[in-house]
Amino acid sequence: MSVLLDVKEIEKSFKLKGHWYHKQKFTALSPLSFSVEAKKTLAIVGETGSGKSTLAKILVGAETPSAGKIFLNGQMLQNKRFKQRCQHIRMIFQDSGTTLNPSLTILELLDEPLTLNTDLGEKERHQLIRTTLQKVGLLGDHMNFYPHMFSGGQKQRISLARAIILQPQVIILDEALAALDPSLRSQMINLLLDLQQQMGLAYILISHNLGIVRHFSDDVMVMSHGKVVESGKTIEIMRTPQHKVTQKLMMSQNFQLK
Amino acid sequence: MNLLDIRNLSIELETPNGLILAVDRVSLSIKEGEVRGLVGESGSGKSLLAQAIIGVLEDKWHVHADRFHWRGIDLLRLTIDERRALLCRDIAMIFQEPMSCLDPTTLIGDQLGEAIDSSQLSGFFWQRKKQRQEAVIKLLHKVGIKKHNQCISSYPHQLTEAICQRVMIAIALAGRPILLIADEPTAAMESTNQAQIFRLLANLNQLKNMSILLISHDLENITHWTNTITVMYSGQFVEAGTTEQIFNKPMHPYTRALVDSSTKANLQLPPKSRLMALPGSIPILQHLPIGCRLGPRCPRAQQTCVAAPKVSSFHGHKVSCHFPLLRETVKKESAKRKIVKGKN
Repeated sequence: MSVLLDVKEIEKSFKLKGHWYHKQKFTALSPLSFSVEAKKTLAIVGETGSGKSTLAKILVGAETPSAGKIFLNGQMLQNKRFKQRCQHIRMIFQDSGTTLNPSLTILELLDEPLTLNTDLGEKERHQLIRTTLQKVGLLGDHMNFYPHMFSGGQKQRISLARAIILQPQVIILDEALAALDPSLRSQMINLLLDLQQQMGLAYILISHNLGIVRHFSDDVMVMSHGKVVESGKTIEIMRTPQHKVTQKLMMSQNFQLK
Repeated sequence: MNLLDIRNLSIELETPNGLILAVDRVSLSIKEGEVRGLVGESGSGKSLLAQAIIGVLEDKWHVHADRFHWRGIDLLRLTIDERRALLCRDIAMIFQEPMSCLDPTTLIGDQLGEAIDSSQLSGFFWQRKKQRQEAVIKLLHKVGIKKHNQCISSYPHQLTEAICQRVMIAIALAGRPILLIADEPTAAMESTNQAQIFRLLANLNQLKNMSILLISHDLENITHWTNTITVMYSGQFVEAGTTEQIFNKPMHPYTRALVDSSTKANLQLPPKSRLMALPGSIPILQHLPIGCRLGPRCPRAQQTCVAAPKVSSFHGHKVSCHFPLLRETVKKESAKRKIVKGKN
């Protein structure tokens, strides 16, 4: 299968305050490379401060890497060229309650990415919003509602609708399933898996919950202090964790695969 | 003997449109030295129940109960002040988000010292200050903080979340409680820190014989640490029993769905297969369904479900459903046996 997203030697460091003769640098990400294929899911696990959110921000374009290149379908993604990037790589955040603008209706919320990135007319845009809402299990008439009229699970669906409305190829889920209640979480997992098959999406899942990682992902990457300590097929890593960090993570969740 | 015995507790909310029954006749009992889990999704009234137990609800919430006993004392007969004095001594509570519960303007050492009752200190008034300091250090050691000097002289924002939660537990332990109510103690915490906090609570339970009411929204997270579990849904009692009963043989369709949707309990499922999920979403307080509140989402709902079901007990496994799951399987098994017998 062809490689969809190819990340090569990405690196990120922040300058810290210091004297001119005593420059300090904080390395958030040591050089790392990975690749994701279409219809596959890469999970990134690790503790806080391990650099997984920084990596997500770099992929989506909110941060510029210090060094390294990102290729999408063999094409290099340039820093600060958002038009190219945000059509293909979209992100869903953890808390859907705070990432939706409360003063806009769902129609206006979903209209924004369309007006900014496409040349569609008003009628076409509305039609597209209607079909996208139906795709994520909501009704087309929901587009005149405000975010506060929805429950937590429905809000997360709206975030998902906002992510898929531009027909992207990669979606980054930054703890997107953590804040949901268990019965809604399984609904959401089913929906995400269906969409992956229908639209050929690649997911990058950032999660603490190893149960979800095992169920949802094909490959896993364990990070610690900005370095990749272990990566490979999810099942193999969960069966025989090699690195201490992985073992500790699995121990802490009483997680064992036989 | 039951430490806490609550029968049919209801909590009503006063609104401009009349009273809303937020918690509908929930029973809960805690034995001495037991860790009981209270599981429910958001809006299930589990935090309300905990607040009703320690009596910190505002006036707009009305609490009724058929029985509300604490170690044999009927709390409903006591005045509010007597009740508070009794419960303050015996019950302690820790909240989620420890950072926001600690006073950001006061040093940890002072906050801990405040929690220590002067009746625990013996000695003259000039010795008190030193004794208090020693008691604070002892408490910090109890919850596993070794660098006590550094911890005492820092503000909450200087500590990590796990340490803050430990400090909260230390404050709760200062009164030497018999029951500790932990309201989602590990929400928004990393898994390694979560495990530390749970282990600490388990240790306290083992060593000090302290009972713990562990409240969580996620069934799979707490099954490892509890003896018995009570499940609630949307303010109604669903099921109660030992952890094994709940997790291995759930009788209520809702518990069944919770266990089935858990990715940890179903490790044999092939990756990327569809998970079992209940349709619909959790009803909001203003639009609660009548009768069994799971009704509109329940796969086994029938016409009788518009009336609230009564609690039935099977060997200590209590379930509140018109059509519990176990009976059916028993019947099927017996039917199978009959067929086998017939063949013989």
